[in-house]
Amino acid sequence: MPVDRRKAAVFGGALALRLLLLILFPSLPDLLTGRVEVSTPVTSFKRLQEGLFLYNRNVSPYDGGVFHQAPLLLPIFSLLPDAQEYPLPTALFYSLVDLLNANALVTISDSAQAVSGRLYSSIRKGIKWDGSVVAAWFLFNPFTIATCLGRSTGVFTSTGILYALSAAVQGQTLNSMLALGLASHLSIYPALLFIPLVLLCYDRQAERTGTTPSTALFVVKHLAVFLSSIAGLLGISLLIIGDFSTLLSATYGFQLLVPDLTPNIGLWWYFFIEIFDSFRDFFLGVFWLHLTAYAGSLTVRLRRQPLFVVTSLLGIFAVFKPYPSISDASLYFSLLPLYRHYFPLMRYTFFSVSALLYASLLGPAFYHLWIYAGSGNANFFYAITLVWSLGLSLTIADTIFAALRDEWEQENPDKRGKTVKQV
Amino acid sequence: MTTIFLFALLVSALSAASAASNYHESLNLQPFPPSSLLASFNFKSNTTQTSFEKQHFQYFPRALGQILQHANTRELHLRFTTGRWDSESWGSRPWDGAKEGGTGVELWAWIDAQDDETAFAKWITLTQSLSGLFCASLNFIDSTRTTRPVASFEPAGDHIGSENLHLLHGTLPGEVVCTENLTPFLKLLPCKGKAGVASLLDGHKLFDAAWQSMSIDVRPVCAGTDCLVQIDQTVDIVLDIDRSKRSRANPIPRPVPGDKLDCDTSKPYHARDTCYPQENPGEKAWSITELFGRSISGSCPLADSQGSDGTVCLRIAPEREVRPSPESVETRSSDEFTRCFTPPPSTAFDLAVSEHKIQSTVPLDEPVLYAERTIVGHGQERGGMRIIFDNPSSSKAVDFIYFETLPWFLRPYIHTLQATITGLDGVRRQVRTSEIIKETFYRPGIDRERGTQLELGLSVPPGSRVTLNYDFEKAILRYTEYPPDANRGFNVAPAVIKVSSPEAGRPIYLRTTSLLLPLPTPDFSMPYNVIILTSTVIALTFGSIFNLLVRRFVTAEEASALRAQTLKGRLGGKIVALRDKVRGKSSKVE
Repeated sequence: MPVDRRKAAVFGGALALRLLLLILFPSLPDLLTGRVEVSTPVTSFKRLQEGLFLYNRNVSPYDGGVFHQAPLLLPIFSLLPDAQEYPLPTALFYSLVDLLNANALVTISDSAQAVSGRLYSSIRKGIKWDGSVVAAWFLFNPFTIATCLGRSTGVFTSTGILYALSAAVQGQTLNSMLALGLASHLSIYPALLFIPLVLLCYDRQAERTGTTPSTALFVVKHLAVFLSSIAGLLGISLLIIGDFSTLLSATYGFQLLVPDLTPNIGLWWYFFIEIFDSFRDFFLGVFWLHLTAYAGSLTVRLRRQPLFVVTSLLGIFAVFKPYPSISDASLYFSLLPLYRHYFPLMRYTFFSVSALLYASLLGPAFYHLWIYAGSGNANFFYAITLVWSLGLSLTIADTIFAALRDEWEQENPDKRGKTVKQV
Repeated sequence: MTTIFLFALLVSALSAASAASNYHESLNLQPFPPSSLLASFNFKSNTTQTSFEKQHFQYFPRALGQILQHANTRELHLRFTTGRWDSESWGSRPWDGAKEGGTGVELWAWIDAQDDETAFAKWITLTQSLSGLFCASLNFIDSTRTTRPVASFEPAGDHIGSENLHLLHGTLPGEVVCTENLTPFLKLLPCKGKAGVASLLDGHKLFDAAWQSMSIDVRPVCAGTDCLVQIDQTVDIVLDIDRSKRSRANPIPRPVPGDKLDCDTSKPYHARDTCYPQENPGEKAWSITELFGRSISGSCPLADSQGSDGTVCLRIAPEREVRPSPESVETRSSDEFTRCFTPPPSTAFDLAVSEHKIQSTVPLDEPVLYAERTIVGHGQERGGMRIIFDNPSSSKAVDFIYFETLPWFLRPYIHTLQATITGLDGVRRQVRTSEIIKETFYRPGIDRERGTQLELGLSVPPGSRVTLNYDFEKAILRYTEYPPDANRGFNVAPAVIKVSSPEAGRPIYLRTTSLLLPLPTPDFSMPYNVIILTSTVIALTFGSIFNLLVRRFVTAEEASALRAQTLKGRLGGKIVALRDKVRGKSSKVE
């Protein structure tokens, strides 16, 4: 089959590229692991190794300020040989996880849910990339490669989210909830994807069976599955780490309260360094409220395209979550090629792509000026994170505009191509 | 040798003191060639346990005694130290390092309490009270600076019947020790520094020294069932003889005139304008008055000098001439280097030591271990700690406990701990850490709650140098958590090394120097700008997305038609019409 051969070529090429980079530049993984753009306090591989070191010596890894990742990772990584001495198995493992993610993307793309779902079918459904192109956009994205070589544990969250989506578009609603449960357990924010994802599941099931079961019952049933999957994972964690309250405060508490202000590409760290102490809790609440506000409103307005809501939400998380990294951006950019048919409707493509390129090239330079050269101060890097966030949010807003315009043109076929205004 | 000598003195003082309340003081002087002098002051007083409990203080300082009773403290050790002990040229440390602290202030105590929380509450009481008593920032010893060492310290006293003892340890490496700490220290003495050897202690000289350490140790000493509470205060200073002598006549350092230079005339190029300094200039002459700026004003009448050789002891080459003040009594010890003097009770006492061209020198004790600790790496993001241990002995391995406390904003990665060893052959090789490290106690720090505590049991093979390395990351703090001089860096407390020596019975202590840790700093000048700019980005995104979500699409023609119907549109039309009318009129007037 020609399509499968292309897919195999993309996958093989991606694997070869990763291994080649590792062999040509043996110090690259450690360099990338140390970069603030790749590793955040909740996804850093070095912190994971410290946690693993303590765990293997029967010291609670959560009784300290370094390790804040899910305990599930500890037994998995203790099976792998020491990454310091044998880097190849770990690199291979991460590359395979990347290929798994790409495979899930191919499934999502092949289902064509992005162009036509139960309630909505785009008038531009002809403009579409096939699965192997979408996979190539993901696998050869420099952000994905950097994340893979930097061994950020954020890729496991991405895997959970992508498998939740791929199971949902295939109609395996329970699997989808279980995968989302895993992603939410690893890093708390994917729980916000529950509403659009359960609607996607509902649409797919209704489409397949041809019946429309009660929405409320469906949501409640799946919420129960989702919650019990999280409870189950917490139970396993409890078996791994005895102390439950320390575990919760060191993982979920850490992600919610943001005590570690290590620089990253997001907006939270510098704001909470500079905020006055008496307002810290208030703004923590405001920032979280702001992040959760998008889930409900996007779902209501774009009810007919739940997959697009999930995509946009992932983009919003990549900007506004407490510890974002380029791994989150690469997840958003991996889902964008599914919406190839919206690209002609976007207005600021050049500007947003330039802003993103500008930020990703100048970010490391300005960080160097601040931390190493001493010729710049913290504002240099902070300014770049602002540009990055603006570029990303411009892209998100632009795609949402394109999606709404597409819906409008489908409703009003006679007004296609006319200048529009919003009132 | 010094240590045995000092220890013998300690034992003799102890045996003399074991009867009842008494007070004893001594001063030991030992020159280190070419131009340093170690002066060790020791003041020791006792009181019986019963009178201590009844608050009947005779020689024991009342202020300190009441604090100890209030804080349930059974044993206390307080140190004020500045400078670095140069073990390369000064040999092993006085009192085997037992009366020395890390740079700044160090405090450890055994507190009698039911559980850990009560012990910590009592500890806070203790630090707050001592802070007031000694004018030091001891109240800054909070939970992040407090540790509970496991193997590094042992009680020095006899604790009978107190079972719930908790050891707590705190350090303030950034504390600047100065005159305001010396004054309360002297106030604790029975003669308040007005008479006896304590009269030499003057802030100007003491804190001008190359190294100085003040210590206070309170411990119970029991013989059978009758117990004494003993307070032992010491001041150890290493003076630079040239520097101390200079300040009287010529306080500003000036270059020595050409004809006064000490030149090696045997060199062929020696001429009027060419001078090669003497290799071994010998030891200079000095006297107590020259060095300390005053003489010893008699002896403290409360001091009990029975059973000891004398109050002022000098450890010096036997042929060197010493001229004490008249009326003093000189005793030569069996050890050929030591001479002791008992000052007259009520007149001033001075001691002059002659110049000495080197023929024989007092042998220095070699330390059992050299230790050095530095921060390596560059940049404000991460770094590494390197600790070097040198075992000078060619036959014996050294076993010791290495103890360090790190502030919470320094996050060590213990999995990166590596050891290299340079053996007798001079070849450096990597070894498994388990070959060097026998036992580990590690308690990782928690942000803003507690610091990291690391205790390692190590063994260094004979004649080898062991280097330990580990990586750490520097946290970035909230902007209010930085001190005013944020770019100076943060002090990291010195490491404490306890060498257990079976011969001496008591462990030998070593301390490394404190470290300076630069952290990444935010811009302190613009909290408002950051709040405004970040909020702007958030508002822009929120605004643009919700603007799309809540509005509906219309074509451009529909939009203008719609605008005409609204109240705003109609009002706008009226205003335009009015404006046209006015314009038309005014143009007519012209």
